[in-house]
Amino acid sequence: MSFTTKIDEWMKEAEERPESAVTIVRLIARRLRELSERDEELLAENIALQNGSRVEEYQKRIAHLEYQLDLLKRRFGVDEELLTQIPTKPAEISTLSLLIYNAQGRIFRLELNADTKELGRITGEMVTDLEPPRILAVPSNEDVLLLFTSGRVDTYSVRDIPTVEIGGAWDWSQAALPNEPRAGETLACITPFSQLPLSDFFLQVSRRGCVKKTMTSMAQSILGNHYIGKGSIQKSDQPFDLMLSHKKDRAAFITYEGKVIGFDVDELSYATDERIRLTATDYVIASFTTPADTTMLCVTQTGKVIHRESKSIELSKSSTAKGQSLIPPSRLEQGVRFMGAAAVRDNDQIVVLDAAGRLRILEAGSIIGAGSIEAEAWILSIGVIPAEGASHLT
Amino acid sequence: MSLKVGIDFGTSNSGVAVFDGQSVKLLPVDPKNVLPEVIKTVLYITKDYRTYLGQEAVETYYRDNVNRQRRYVKQWAGEIDVYGGDMHYVRDIFVYIDELKPGRLLQYLKTALRKDNYQGTQIFERYYSVGDLAKTYLSLLKHRAEDALGETIDTVTLGRPVKFSEHPEQDHKAQETLRQAAHEAGFKEVDFELEPIAAALFYEQSITKPQNVVIFDFGGGTLDIAVMRLGDAKSRKVYASGGVDIAGSDFDRTIIEKRMLPHFGYGKVKHHPEIMDMIHAIPDWMALPELGTPINRNILEKAIQAKIAPVRLKALEGLIYNDLAFTFYNRVEAGKIALSSEGATIISLEDKDISLWELYARAQFESDIYHYLVDVEKVLLDTIAKSGLDVEEIDAVVKTGGSSNIPLFTGMLARIFGKEKVKESNAFSSVVAGLAIKAKM
Repeated sequence: MSFTTKIDEWMKEAEERPESAVTIVRLIARRLRELSERDEELLAENIALQNGSRVEEYQKRIAHLEYQLDLLKRRFGVDEELLTQIPTKPAEISTLSLLIYNAQGRIFRLELNADTKELGRITGEMVTDLEPPRILAVPSNEDVLLLFTSGRVDTYSVRDIPTVEIGGAWDWSQAALPNEPRAGETLACITPFSQLPLSDFFLQVSRRGCVKKTMTSMAQSILGNHYIGKGSIQKSDQPFDLMLSHKKDRAAFITYEGKVIGFDVDELSYATDERIRLTATDYVIASFTTPADTTMLCVTQTGKVIHRESKSIELSKSSTAKGQSLIPPSRLEQGVRFMGAAAVRDNDQIVVLDAAGRLRILEAGSIIGAGSIEAEAWILSIGVIPAEGASHLT
Repeated sequence: MSLKVGIDFGTSNSGVAVFDGQSVKLLPVDPKNVLPEVIKTVLYITKDYRTYLGQEAVETYYRDNVNRQRRYVKQWAGEIDVYGGDMHYVRDIFVYIDELKPGRLLQYLKTALRKDNYQGTQIFERYYSVGDLAKTYLSLLKHRAEDALGETIDTVTLGRPVKFSEHPEQDHKAQETLRQAAHEAGFKEVDFELEPIAAALFYEQSITKPQNVVIFDFGGGTLDIAVMRLGDAKSRKVYASGGVDIAGSDFDRTIIEKRMLPHFGYGKVKHHPEIMDMIHAIPDWMALPELGTPINRNILEKAIQAKIAPVRLKALEGLIYNDLAFTFYNRVEAGKIALSSEGATIISLEDKDISLWELYARAQFESDIYHYLVDVEKVLLDTIAKSGLDVEEIDAVVKTGGSSNIPLFTGMLARIFGKEKVKESNAFSSVVAGLAIKAKM
């Protein structure tokens, strides 16, 4: 049926029932607005194709895949003999980078060294789009995946992100913006992903406690389409975290109002699954896998530390689970809330960012021992430098 | 103490009601539904054979299925003997099974009862006959009703269309299958009442003097008509009854055939019989989910690569492989329902690879289903003629069932009988209320 015929039919409806004309015009106007927005997106995509930035992106992706392949060969000793015959470049010394990023997609990268504990200070607005900055420690030769709240993903090499000098004071306007969030989306999280070939699943956690498991065998399609999905059920919900996990991993998440819940990755369904029934004001503030030799460390806004054995976390089997409560009701009434949490080992280091913008490194063992973190302002965020990662420090 | 209830096992929606001699109580059997007294006739069976019905079935299905991962494995299904002249050989038959499929959603269970070519279906390792499916649904519905009442239910009056089938044998078989299913679901006593007569019994509660009444029960699966004398239990009489297999699901199908298929390549794809077969299967709710095989995906991908209507075939691929069939049929049905009160509506489906948008006006809908109007009018006039009454002798026409709200048919009834005689009964509850009254008689 041609479009002209359709228009004639709409006209007929408007003639037969004049009151329908208003409805038809309203519906067409709404469609026009949608199409105009889509047209703009397509034009932007066209520009990206024409100016070569899309080509660059694909080149990066190819380079990344080659790196993955190389990693796999080395891990499993494939073609080892052949590899030894190839003249190799001297191994690059890997350093450890600290990424501090906000919801607007701005990222500071600091190359850490072994001695410095006072990293510097961030100036300007600390909480953007109601989200405090987040912290991630990764090897400098790592690749990271950026997940946006629309479900869009993009990959970057950590080395491509410019560094800022340790010990300085930095404003967000100085931060790198490798991939600016599009209209209506913000940066949800950054996750390292060079372990992709050795992992079984992507694990997504949403703000309202939904979990979605996706096989890493779909990585090519996900990266190709730049889309992994929101991993949420309710429209108002949005993605919070993305991590790589193995079949036998156990994961957990912690909420703002002090609830904790654990789950076996293998038992998750492949569809988005609500794992906890949260109150209207509660939301997830941290999620992580909990290896057997780690303990869970949660920090309140005032710096009080709550520390639990990972194996003590209750496992959730249903969407109606309410989770274990780590903050007593009396403290909740007083306004105590969690700002950060992580699975740590005693010899790990913790990076702490407070509301005054101060960024420093503390020993996990000493924090656990003291039971609190001294801070000149409210704690906004914490990050973990794993002990094995710290060995990369120059 | 055990109770007697009426159950309307409808094509699209069902309900349970109980009559205490004074008033009818509709039971809230689906607390998750907008109208808890109306429950969708939808059953979802998971891989581990957990069963859900109504809104819960729909929600579980969406949670488990939409955009889920798939992994097809080739499975031996049996073998066939091939004979040709003096030659004979045996060939193995393989089917592709999606081993990650978490469950099966089943709808239109009542339509399955009257289809002589549909015996049942394989759900993972178990075979469910049509009777097994009806039994599973009725059993769950019985439990919901018992929970709502806090008492055990032993006796049920089930509604049935005037004709399950045009063929008396098939009609009898469908009723007996439903009876057996009800017994297996736990009802000790089961009897039946024609749905339009049940609606009449409910209407009778609201009249004070005897009337000649036409019941026009136009639901999701069938049109049932009864011409009756109502108003006095002693002189209550059924003059004639009739029906035809035309109803809401046929209109949905017509909308899909006439308006939706072009969005999936119809008219653009030619000389590709495999793809044409897929497109033509879209209106068939039983066939569409079965299309999701790796072979079909391969065919579609090749056609897309060859730039044969790539956008539309990508949409077709999305419809089949993202488990969007149920959403799609629901959108079409919602569009049809909206046209009962609006002059125009949008039927849309937005998902990865699909951007379907169709402005559908009432004039288009009426033109698309006009041929059904002719058939419906004929059945209606035939039934009245069979009753021996003249049109002028009819005092009231009571319309019930979702499709009776379609303005084209309301207009037809007003044209034949006069606008003032056309009475509206509750579209979704008058039949079940009447069945509850019958159960108490």
